[in-house]
Amino acid sequence: MPENVLELNRVCKRYGSFHAVDDISFAIPAGSIYGFLGPNGAGKTTTLRMVLDILKPDSGSIQILGHTSALHVRHRIGYLPEEKGLYKKMRVWAIISYFATLKGMHRRDARTRAFELLEQYGLKDYAEARVESLSKGMGQKVQVLSAVAHRPELVILDEPFSGLDPVNQQVLEQLIRDMAAAGQTVIFSTHIMQHAERLCDRMLLIAKGRKIFDGTLDDVHAIIPRRVILGCSGDIAPLRATPGVIAASQLEAPEPGRPGASALWELQIDEHLDPQQLLQRCFEHGIALTRFEHTQPSLHDVFVHLVGSDAREHVLR
Amino acid sequence: MRMILLIALREYAENVKTKGFWAGILLFPVILVAVFFFQTLLSQSTPTRHYLLIDQSGQYAEAVAAGIRQEQQRRIFQEFINYVVENRRDANPEQTSAGAGDQIDRMIDDAGTDEVAALDEWLASGGLEFALAMAAPYLRQNAPPFEAPREQFLSAPLPAGIDPQARPDVIVDQLRPWLSGERLLEVEGEPGPLFALILIPADVNGSIQRPGAALTPPAPGSGIQYWARNLTDTRLPAAIERSINASIRANEFAARNVDINVVREVQRTRLPMSRLDPSKAQGEEAVSVADTFRQWAPVGFVYLMFISLMQSVQYLLSNTIEEKSNRIIEVLLASVTPLELMMGKLVGIGLSGITTIAAWLGTFFLFIAFYPASEAELLAQFFQVLLSSDLIPWFVFYFLAGYALYAGIFLAIGSLCNTLKEAQSLMMPMMMVLIVPLVTMTFIAQDPNGPVARIMSWIPLFTPFTMMNRAAAQPPLIDVVGTTGMLLLSILLVLWLSGKIFRQGVLRTGQPPRIVEIIRMLRHKH
Repeated sequence: MPENVLELNRVCKRYGSFHAVDDISFAIPAGSIYGFLGPNGAGKTTTLRMVLDILKPDSGSIQILGHTSALHVRHRIGYLPEEKGLYKKMRVWAIISYFATLKGMHRRDARTRAFELLEQYGLKDYAEARVESLSKGMGQKVQVLSAVAHRPELVILDEPFSGLDPVNQQVLEQLIRDMAAAGQTVIFSTHIMQHAERLCDRMLLIAKGRKIFDGTLDDVHAIIPRRVILGCSGDIAPLRATPGVIAASQLEAPEPGRPGASALWELQIDEHLDPQQLLQRCFEHGIALTRFEHTQPSLHDVFVHLVGSDAREHVLR
Repeated sequence: MRMILLIALREYAENVKTKGFWAGILLFPVILVAVFFFQTLLSQSTPTRHYLLIDQSGQYAEAVAAGIRQEQQRRIFQEFINYVVENRRDANPEQTSAGAGDQIDRMIDDAGTDEVAALDEWLASGGLEFALAMAAPYLRQNAPPFEAPREQFLSAPLPAGIDPQARPDVIVDQLRPWLSGERLLEVEGEPGPLFALILIPADVNGSIQRPGAALTPPAPGSGIQYWARNLTDTRLPAAIERSINASIRANEFAARNVDINVVREVQRTRLPMSRLDPSKAQGEEAVSVADTFRQWAPVGFVYLMFISLMQSVQYLLSNTIEEKSNRIIEVLLASVTPLELMMGKLVGIGLSGITTIAAWLGTFFLFIAFYPASEAELLAQFFQVLLSSDLIPWFVFYFLAGYALYAGIFLAIGSLCNTLKEAQSLMMPMMMVLIVPLVTMTFIAQDPNGPVARIMSWIPLFTPFTMMNRAAAQPPLIDVVGTTGMLLLSILLVLWLSGKIFRQGVLRTGQPPRIVEIIRMLRHKH
């Protein structure tokens, strides 16, 4: 098995003058959970469709599972498209089994596997139901199962969490972890950062068709400085002077007329500064703390930080 | 190949589960049973109808009665012919020719060619009793006894209080409650509706029209007045009119000193015409009912082909649109190539089309086997003709070819549309094309090797229909070979082109494309 299950090299896709995907390159190592992040209309789905060779890139190359086209290895890939749909009249187990047979599974194995999955992920009672009788969320679960029933090496899920309630989102997260544990590579796209933060080993952030970021969760955190929230009544000048403190800003002024009232400050610190050192400085300079909070920036913050202006612009257009 | 089979199997299984499919399969036997069962039932259950005859002229009462008697005899005669055909010892459809020796055959033949003369002869020779005696030796051993149909039209007595000699309009006014069904007649103690009033005014002879006289349109209400609410059952007025005219003509002959018996003899003189077919072996040229049927059977096949083609392509179209609008297509295309998907659908739906036809032929066969009526016997003979001729292989070939051709086109249309509504505008031209073979069907059957038929055969979109239409008429070899070659080539071309459109169309969203875009799709190189 190659080191990377998927490699994109300078891939572009235009629709007329609109650059849906603009010069994107990245590589996904085998066995990882890879998040595909970006605002609506960023080009996530177009990229995934090109990966699957449903769409042809205008330029650039794609290597998937060691081949140039997903069509050559389509039995080793599982795909859940962004827009979900199933044959309304078919029974739940039959549809999972049908898609698995299209992926090369034997009919009997596919049938057994369908019932197995339905039991495992809490849909046992609906095995004989017709798809049209399912709720939207349940239908989506069925579709996820039908995409992965054949145990593909590479699973590509386009917005798998949209439309699921929190309980089922957890079930789906568990499914993704199970697959990764079994050595399968999972790529999923989402615009909900919490899922990516909880699940992903690596992630790719794109906006307006361009790659903005590609790396691990630690890399993400390095992008925007860590923050320390301080509540204190004294002067914080000594802290400002501490090496590694990038900036300090007052979030809340002390309540006027109340002696000893504390103000709320936010300090941005770089990755070399240990917050413990900062705490020690406070003691040394007699700064009385009412609050000391060290926070990791959330992926959400990073997302807003990186694409915020772009995304807003996009909405306005 | 495995993928095509898997898709075909699913399409087939899903199609077979739909209500529409079963409706299509069951419709045919239902119609078949309806036609043959209810027809018999209806003819047996038509109520006896009561009519009132008021003959103020005093000349035609006997003629009316005779006309009605004759109508009854005609029914008995027809029933008897059916009875004989059904219960003969050695029924053979190939030998209903005029050359057959015995009287029964001649009677059956006459009944088919010249009912009036046959009926005259029937009456002259003694009617049912004589015919039964004559036919007895030729019937099967266990033949059931013949049941003559009931009298259909009975004369009713005049309701009390109505003066038959009053003015016609007064009589009609007085009888209106009966004519409208508000009041019922009393016939043999039973109440019953009045079916018709036949009123012959005293001065009816003044309305007789003769050739050469000034052509004045008859005033409404002149001549014999036939009053009835039922406008569809024309047997009674037709029988009366025929009979009275015969009586008037007899009077005319008498007035001109012509012997009526001479006239009758002259009228019944006839020269038989044998219909012969030069393409048959010497000694067997006589054209039988079966031959005529063989000539017309292709029309039935064209119709059958049209119906099941329409059914199949419609299903293909709506099914493709369902997959598109549900976005199932994307999952499918991640698993199979567009060409595999297309071929799978084509095969699957094609199989269900064949199933429908097989089921139809099957029920037809079962029907014949288990429904021992004279009509079914006739059908059984036709069925043998079908099996012995090469029409069925022709049909199978042209059905499959036509299906492949049209299915390719409709699949391409389906792949371009997201809703059935969008598809309708693109389908319009195809529907117009499909109607043409249906419109020309009868015409081509009458002139199977004429220029129109030949030209249409060479247009691939019409080839399956037109060549099926001509199948019984031994079309020239060049037409058979040439059009088949053209047809196969165009199927390949259509499937290749619609494969291109399908590949690009299935992932399209939004409005259906304009013509220019379709052309661009066709020129696209994958």
